[in-house]
Amino acid sequence: MTAVTCELCPRGCVIPEGGAGDCRIRVNLGGRLRATTYGRPSAVHIDPMEKKPLYHFLPGTPVFSIATAGCNLHCLNCQNWQLSQRGGEEMEEVYRLDPPELVRVAKDEGCRSIAYTYSDPIVFYEYVFDSAERAHAERLANCFITAAYINERPLRKLCRVIDAVNADLKAFDDGFYRRVNGATLKPVLDALVTMREEGVWLEVTNLVIPTLNDDPAMIRRLARWVHDELGAGTPLHFSRFQPQYRMRNLPPTPVETLDRARREAKDAGLEHVYVGNVLGHAGNSTYCPNDGTLLIGRVGFMITHYALTADGRCPSCNEPIPGVWRSADLFGDEP
Amino acid sequence: MTTESHRSAGPTARRRILRLLGGLATLGLALPWLKRPAPEPLPPQVLSLREADFYRPHDLAG
Repeated sequence: MTAVTCELCPRGCVIPEGGAGDCRIRVNLGGRLRATTYGRPSAVHIDPMEKKPLYHFLPGTPVFSIATAGCNLHCLNCQNWQLSQRGGEEMEEVYRLDPPELVRVAKDEGCRSIAYTYSDPIVFYEYVFDSAERAHAERLANCFITAAYINERPLRKLCRVIDAVNADLKAFDDGFYRRVNGATLKPVLDALVTMREEGVWLEVTNLVIPTLNDDPAMIRRLARWVHDELGAGTPLHFSRFQPQYRMRNLPPTPVETLDRARREAKDAGLEHVYVGNVLGHAGNSTYCPNDGTLLIGRVGFMITHYALTADGRCPSCNEPIPGVWRSADLFGDEP
Repeated sequence: MTTESHRSAGPTARRRILRLLGGLATLGLALPWLKRPAPEPLPPQVLSLREADFYRPHDLAG
């Protein structure tokens, strides 16, 4: 009887023969760990980049977005729980889309990148890695939307093929992670620092939940940590909570709370702080940190105004704005 | 002051019938597209057996 220890994420599940990890989709069959959703997504969509949200990465471009079943977190407020809190065998729809086919379809659909998203793509790691390698060969970028609960060794390997990450930093409190997400804070912070070290474009999202993680002092600590460890130019998104799944007892986040969080983060020195899930909010847009010029106007996922220069600078004061603004920044000019 | 609307007097009965037929024809043309099948899902039990990276086997037998 051979058990296996999965070394992908900090859970370190010890999986007996015939059993599955906590993520439900990594299964021990005959003493070998199998990634049962490899090439088998259950969600396939074309989204705008702004939906990820990635605001400083190829803005306004369509992204071929996929997810399989399974997740290594169990957030009480999960908005994709029908996908994330199930195993592959429980899904009503499972598509066959192996890496070569995935890249071909993404390209045929006119997308310039592929996003591994919705559930946590960490759990379909091998599928992401093989697809991302192939995508690069076809000049498609790779976006990874994650809660960053991953061990260092697999993460460093993954960073070789990932171009942009939006990582959830769910709270700056270990107790919150344990109660609400079934995880811990430190591995997440370590993973974000590793991503920064590896040179991946990184944006951070904090979903602000009334009474649970909206304490101004906690938000200040979170913003300071992002500033000190990831850099003042790291975009930070404060998203509005909507009651769902097992957390229907709390109201949506008041807009004033998000405004206050944004002010705290700016006071901490962060240059690009956004408010998400509030249609038409001024905090959806990008402004020059030097002279306040509106650079990219957004309403929802739509871009309504674009004033950045071709090389990503403010047109009035020439301030460089951090980000990846053109495919050529990743792959060089078209051959 | 007049009670006459500034809009036109409206379509004749013949035009109304033609519009109705046109609408039905458009609907007929659109139906196959509306009913376009999604990619065929696999039976749920058809899962991959791809070997995972990053794991360590160990013998539990004592």
